[in-house]
Amino acid sequence: MNKFDVVVVGAGPAGSTAAYLLAKAGLKVLLLERGRGAGSKLLWGGKAYAQPLRDVWPELDKEAPIHRWVTKERISVLWGERAITLEYKLGRRVAFTSPLTELAAWMARKAEAAGALFLDEVVVEEIVVKDGRVVGVRSGGDFVAADVVIDAEGANRLLLEKLGLADRPNPYHMAVAAKEVISLDPRLIEERFGLERDEGLSWLVLGDVTLGIPGGGFVYTMRDTISIGIVLNVGYGAEAAEKGVLRDHISRLLENFRTHPYFRHYWKEADVIEYGGRMTVEGGLRFAPKRLYANGLLVVGDAAGMLVNAGYTIRGVDTAVTSARVAAEAVLEARDKGGFTEENLRGYEERLRKSYVYKELVDHSGVAEIFGDPFFFSKVPPFLVRAASKVFEADYAEPTLLEALKTSAQEEEINMLRLMLKVGRVVRRI
Amino acid sequence: MRIVVGIKWVPNTQAVRFDPETGTLIRKGVPSIVNPHDLPAVEAALRLREKTGGEVIAISMAPPPAVKGLELVLGMGVDRAILVTDRAFAGADTWATSYVLSHAIRKIAAEIGEVDLAIFGHETIDSSTSHVQAQVASWLDWPYLYYVKRVEPVGGKLLRVWRELEDYEEEYEVETPAVLSIAIKAFKPRPVSLSSKLRAKLEKRVLTWTNADLKLDPRCVGLKGSPTIVAKTIDMPEVPRKKEVYRPKDGKDAARWIIAKMVHDEKLREVLKGLVGGEL
Repeated sequence: MNKFDVVVVGAGPAGSTAAYLLAKAGLKVLLLERGRGAGSKLLWGGKAYAQPLRDVWPELDKEAPIHRWVTKERISVLWGERAITLEYKLGRRVAFTSPLTELAAWMARKAEAAGALFLDEVVVEEIVVKDGRVVGVRSGGDFVAADVVIDAEGANRLLLEKLGLADRPNPYHMAVAAKEVISLDPRLIEERFGLERDEGLSWLVLGDVTLGIPGGGFVYTMRDTISIGIVLNVGYGAEAAEKGVLRDHISRLLENFRTHPYFRHYWKEADVIEYGGRMTVEGGLRFAPKRLYANGLLVVGDAAGMLVNAGYTIRGVDTAVTSARVAAEAVLEARDKGGFTEENLRGYEERLRKSYVYKELVDHSGVAEIFGDPFFFSKVPPFLVRAASKVFEADYAEPTLLEALKTSAQEEEINMLRLMLKVGRVVRRI
Repeated sequence: MRIVVGIKWVPNTQAVRFDPETGTLIRKGVPSIVNPHDLPAVEAALRLREKTGGEVIAISMAPPPAVKGLELVLGMGVDRAILVTDRAFAGADTWATSYVLSHAIRKIAAEIGEVDLAIFGHETIDSSTSHVQAQVASWLDWPYLYYVKRVEPVGGKLLRVWRELEDYEEEYEVETPAVLSIAIKAFKPRPVSLSSKLRAKLEKRVLTWTNADLKLDPRCVGLKGSPTIVAKTIDMPEVPRKKEVYRPKDGKDAARWIIAKMVHDEKLREVLKGLVGGEL
């Protein structure tokens, strides 16, 4: 009874996708989740790109718990009470908002309906290796055998670390996020954000919401809630705390964000109904484990570093789903070749390298460079806001844009040439 | 020994909010769980079975999603489970619920074999009445002991049962069949292992009984068979929070300061009065 073709560890988007596709292909699949219910350990802002998900579930638009289709993308640079905001109005349905717990629960139900056996509240303590190959998993003294194990354990890679496939995480490749869910009548959400019914907004905020520490703030509109949060790079956050720049808990930064005069009227008189926090991946490729496959093992989702941070957008769900889809294809290919050996599973990494996910990860690795340069978080926002204030807050004649930039750079003690070089490098890599 | 354990599938009240306008719980979107106080009852039943042999049957009157809760207790080691479910049973108060459960127990006795013991949790987290156990005992005309913290088989039809009371303990000898209600936290429920979860899920040991099986008079079940009326609910006054720091010289000084605060703060006095139901 305790023998399966595939055991998937973790019922997040990646795990449920792999379980769904492999069960659908007729394999005997066991999907294990440590939380109560699929997706219960997840926490995110709120936006998923639809097309990579439709590649797995063509019925996505009709069936999935889609709250709002994103029609407005906003990016703000904030310093003090001043803010510069850029807004883009989308022309088609590309991404949607949804609470990830709902979305992941839907994915797990799809996997169950396809024939995968789903068990929650099971903590997998070990991926068991025998004679150089993975043979199953262990939980509370119980062993379950599997021909192939798919590790979808998420950002906190206790199992991979135990196997020696991943190192302890580098704090500069991790971020801590705090989030609140604010309850608000759907009509008020639409009125205040200027949205039609079923339309949503995605908003990223840089500047002193993080006290200039690498990271940012976010706002996403769900059907009848608003999700807001703060993300801080762990390494730089710790540095800032040592220097005394960061003196409060991250929840206090979130509170300041929620009560900021530029934002607070959006959720005036609305209640915070949920709060939470989690560690997330920021390293992308740098966070990827030493290898994504071994004899009888594949690694997918956050655990594999499948999180793209392009600066102006963050993609983790579609990339997780795609990595799992590619992994499922590789598993089926290996089965046809006669076994789940390292040699036969090699197709996973090859396919992944050819997919858009890898291209995204490589192309946007420049963001890591930005995150490796606190200059962009502590120096650039006040400089931009100062320049804007010179243009927009002139009582008599306003300066030319160039003059405004020049004097602002001087006042913020920024070398213009150094700035231009840095910006040039970023534009190419972002 | 054949032991029946009652399981209630309840909304997780930690996640439930109160609607101040209608005075009811907002259950929409709240995940349900096995009533936590039922798990010590399951544990008590399993330990008794380990001593006497026989089987443990879990029983729940609930809508179909409660199968998940029954799978959980099957995973703990319960031998089989019966889900008593029918639209006709919806809206039942404790009276109608105990009526259905007692008839389900009779049906078990008639079709599966003699039932020696029915064990329940102390109360449920979503209503806290502790009625159902006593009412089941009444319908079946079995002796009933509650606040039970220990049960030992003596031999034959005799059980020795210990009740936990505020500052003493009572020891009883009771003849089966009987109904027991287990004191809160009296038994630590065993963890559910992966392999027993797998077994519970694969073996499909949940039996479903509807009113077509029980054949109860529709006037005696569900909303129609429920004489209870909730006349009024009163929201407890919210205790106002104030932040104040006082550095006392010693414990006595601290106590004096807190008491002075409580006596002199008008708002707090009102709250305290509400809590004790009269003058301070």
